[in-house]
Amino acid sequence: MKRATRRDILKYGAATGLAAGLANLPGAARAEGKLKVGAVYVSPVSEIGWTKQHSLGIEAIRAEFGDDAEITVIDSIFRPQDAERVFRQLAGAGNDLIFGTSFSHGTPMQKVAPRFPKTAFEHCSGIKHLKNLGTFEAKYFEGTYVAGVAAGHVSKSAKIGFIGGFPIPDIVGPANALLRGAQSVNPDITCNVIFLNSWFDPGKEKEAAKTLIAQGCDVICSMTDTATGVQVAGENDAWSIGYASDMAPFGNGKHLTAFTLNWVPVYLQAARDTANGTWTSNERWLGLADDVIQMSPYNDDLPPEATAAAEKARAEIIAGTLHPFGGELKDQSGALRVETGQSLSDGGIRSIDWFVEGMIGKLG
Amino acid sequence: MDLFVSMFAATIVAATPLIFAALGELVVEKSGVLNLGIEGMMLVGAAFGVWAHFAGLPMTVALAAAVLAGAASSLLFGVLALTFMTNQYAAGLALAIFGTGVSAFIGRGFGSTPVDAIQPVHLPGLSDIPVIGEMFFQYDPLVYLSFVLFGIVSWFLYRTKAGLALRAIGESPDSAHAIGYEVIRIRYMAVMFGGAMAGLGGAYLSLVYTPLWVENMTAGRGWIALALVVFAAWRPIRVVLGAWLFGGMTILQLQGQAIGLNVPSELLSALPYLATIAVLVLISRNRQAMALDFPISLARPFRPKG
Repeated sequence: MKRATRRDILKYGAATGLAAGLANLPGAARAEGKLKVGAVYVSPVSEIGWTKQHSLGIEAIRAEFGDDAEITVIDSIFRPQDAERVFRQLAGAGNDLIFGTSFSHGTPMQKVAPRFPKTAFEHCSGIKHLKNLGTFEAKYFEGTYVAGVAAGHVSKSAKIGFIGGFPIPDIVGPANALLRGAQSVNPDITCNVIFLNSWFDPGKEKEAAKTLIAQGCDVICSMTDTATGVQVAGENDAWSIGYASDMAPFGNGKHLTAFTLNWVPVYLQAARDTANGTWTSNERWLGLADDVIQMSPYNDDLPPEATAAAEKARAEIIAGTLHPFGGELKDQSGALRVETGQSLSDGGIRSIDWFVEGMIGKLG
Repeated sequence: MDLFVSMFAATIVAATPLIFAALGELVVEKSGVLNLGIEGMMLVGAAFGVWAHFAGLPMTVALAAAVLAGAASSLLFGVLALTFMTNQYAAGLALAIFGTGVSAFIGRGFGSTPVDAIQPVHLPGLSDIPVIGEMFFQYDPLVYLSFVLFGIVSWFLYRTKAGLALRAIGESPDSAHAIGYEVIRIRYMAVMFGGAMAGLGGAYLSLVYTPLWVENMTAGRGWIALALVVFAAWRPIRVVLGAWLFGGMTILQLQGQAIGLNVPSELLSALPYLATIAVLVLISRNRQAMALDFPISLARPFRPKG
């Protein structure tokens, strides 16, 4: 066996250094011509829900790139301490583009990204973006507003109910917008809110839905990761609004519509840009106009004017002529927050920690 | 009044899976074995129940499948902890994690279809009585089964010779062994009973309570059942009361949120835990009485001598 001489080490060392230097040049990242993509999910891919919608994005990349893409998916990674190891592994394995799909992936991605400057990182629901860490998030409130318009037409008790995971802006905003949509039809409508203080607990969600129905709510919007709220509403002859995926099969014929998440455009764009060497880190906040928020088919039993009004609101939001948080906007206590003719700023929406007038429930 | 009645009924139902799982664990712990794997066994039961249901089997068979699956998964723990005398804490935790994974595997493909839930039974006459009928006679058969099982477990533990033997094994396996009881065999049976009950509790979730399958759908109920046994100081009646208290407080806090009570939801969400701990600690504060019910050999492996 030949022993490595000092000359060899110098020779190979220089070559390695040269290769490393070359690899740092833009566009040279993909030496083998294959796009390597990694994705980290918080749960296994089931048939509906949050992770399913992300997996559709990955599937779209697979479909478009075929054999030109090598895709690694790792699921059931929720806790940040596990996630950091996984992201480092994926980056170390030479993936060109890595997706994180949960807020809890944020800190680990922020730690790992700077160490792999050639790798493109994309973080869903992230708030901090770096040179090679882009973030994308959906305007859920646009979806709940449109659903709220439909709800306003069908609610006979003028009471609707909302179930959320935690009282954070990404949940409080959609809850507010749901009521704003309903109030655009009937200004007297109120909305009872229950937070489970858990992302995931079907049993508690069931009790929450039953409680809201017992309070007289006849439309239930459940922004959690299971179909339980939709199911309980259907059993009790109340309308329901689904989230993330179309939940009509669970609604017992009472599923009004769902605001679904379509990440496909985001995933495809990131993959194409990475393949072309033109990827840059961006902060994106996408809604109805970007096709990232979609409305699932409206219930056939809806009165035609309800469907028409919801579709009109959708078109106006896309056109920019209607803003779910447009003035005049008062908070729960009746204090004026936004004047007529103005609308709540993006920053104001992303950090919203107050309820609009007509909400019943207590925040923090 | 209507509100009270509906909350009462909701409490009984919400507590039922906890009662199944906790009664099972109570028997296991009374035999001197600590099985921390309840969460995993419940999930296995929930998944196999749904699997059998979607395979077109009748509900009774689906429930039986869940019970068998729960018992079978507990055997894994049994072999590790009883035959090979590994650390019971570690073996139980392994079962909890293993069960979560297996159930997710079994449940693949079932997530997009609702389950035709087992419906409440209507007892002619009784169910129609106002208030009383609604409070006591409008449940699904499994709720009544939980009452029956509570009766059977209490009677077995404190009124039968076999129950006495089981408790003796939990106190002093060596003495029980010396007078001829097969400690390991009886412990195996207790562990399997615990697994079967956890499986039943899991199936109650997936076939009755929230009739659908989602990974991890127990959402920590196995751990709550485990805690209930300890806080109830190993007494069946307190296990049932504790489960009702926990269920009742959960429903009460949701009501509080829905009517817009001026308290942060985070605090309200913590109420069931705080209240259950407070009450059960209060009723178990007599240390001497506590010591009578505590299985002294809990979690100690038994090796027959000679």
